[in-house]
Amino acid sequence: MKTTRTIFQDGDHKWVAIVRDPERKGHLIDTNEYLVTHGGQGLLLDPGGAEIFPAVFSALSAEFDPSALAGIFASHQDPDICSSLALWLEFNPQMHCYVSWLWRSFIPHFGGSADTFVAMPDAGMTIALGGLSLTAVPAHYLHSSGNLHLYDAQARMFFSGDVGAALLPPGEDGLFVEDFDAHIRHAEAFHRRWMGSNEAKRSWCERVAKMDIDMLCPQHGAVYQGADVERFINWFDALPVGVVGS
Amino acid sequence: MGTLPAGTERPGRASATMPLALTGPAPQAGLDLLRIVRINEEIKSVVGVAFRINIMALNAIFLAKRAGTAARGFGVLSNELRTFSQNLRDCMGELSGLVDACVGEVSVVLRDIRHTRLLRQAVAASSWAGGAAVLAARQAESERHLQRLTARRKALRRALDDAFRMVELGGVLAKSAKIEAAYGQSFAASLAQVSGEFDGVVEEIRKSLEALRRSDFFGRH
Ligand SMILES: [Fe+2]
Ligand SMILES: [Fe+2]
Repeated sequence: MKTTRTIFQDGDHKWVAIVRDPERKGHLIDTNEYLVTHGGQGLLLDPGGAEIFPAVFSALSAEFDPSALAGIFASHQDPDICSSLALWLEFNPQMHCYVSWLWRSFIPHFGGSADTFVAMPDAGMTIALGGLSLTAVPAHYLHSSGNLHLYDAQARMFFSGDVGAALLPPGEDGLFVEDFDAHIRHAEAFHRRWMGSNEAKRSWCERVAKMDIDMLCPQHGAVYQGADVERFINWFDALPVGVVGS
Repeated sequence: MGTLPAGTERPGRASATMPLALTGPAPQAGLDLLRIVRINEEIKSVVGVAFRINIMALNAIFLAKRAGTAARGFGVLSNELRTFSQNLRDCMGELSGLVDACVGEVSVVLRDIRHTRLLRQAVAASSWAGGAAVLAARQAESERHLQRLTARRKALRRALDDAFRMVELGGVLAKSAKIEAAYGQSFAASLAQVSGEFDGVVEEIRKSLEALRRSDFFGRH
């Protein structure tokens, strides 16, 4: 089963990371899920694939009433992002799924009805959660062509989807980045190959560098905190992407 | 603002209070899908043969007209065969529709099985009290889908029986036409050939339908 770690807390305003399942089957990529709670409501960020649903659900439900999940934020359309959608909807059929307008008619293949989906425009949008304002931030072509990240200005927390992802070897899978230079080696090949556009990368780095961020939370690998956030943005800005076979 | 990582570590409860039925319905539904797909293929080939029969019936009518009074009985029968071939085509259309519906329902049941398995595992490993009710609602929904499949299965079986009876009647017509062909004087040989071909094709369809009625898709449920 997965482990939950509260990585931000201010009263009932929380960010909970759901991470690292020792029983995960090796052929499934490891993913991080994040739960944001405020005012008794919850938003689940990239809830993960159907096959890991039991592990994510059991961990989440130890922290939070799954029927109080108001929504799911899907950064993009990949199966490791939200193929579990239909299963989460069993616990609250009124739940909304926020997704780029680009994938508005693709994601329903994972479940849900016409009322389930909120199509996010390219410019991003504000998402209300129990009195808290969250911001969907454009990150198109990084890697998906319709891709959004989520910023919580009040908590200074930033969910970065596949950006910042690292494929960590066994034994080096701590929740937080401890040694940036050692860690980033496990992120380099992923970013070169999965991220498709240097232009998109540049504009994302400019946009995100202006934000106050304490933690940058990727969907795979470890969380960047403190000075490592800026270190990561600078590293990413300098990395040539859209490269095959290097 | 904001306090920093509380770092509270809480592993999810890893107990399994419910049996995890990982075998059983899934292989059955998988086999059903395979069987219904085979039925579909077979029906498609019968539909093709039914088209051939239509053309053969038309040929028989023209031949009977050319033979005139010498083949009056054959003419009557060839008209009957033409009606039969049209009915057969309609019947095959209906069967194809029913098979499509069965493929759809079997697919829903297969999806339900995976969905319920994951839900059951999740609820079993969680300490959250509301899980049992959600699982029960899902199982009731799956049960409704199973009942819908059973109803479709029965409808398909009935339609196959009806088609089989119709084809048996067609066989009788074809055999009668073979007998009438003998009275066709100078046309006797060609009439015999046409009615013989007709009989052969009807027999082919009859065998196909008989095999379909014996499919395991309808058995042991
Ligand atoms: Fe992805
Ligand atoms: Fe991913």
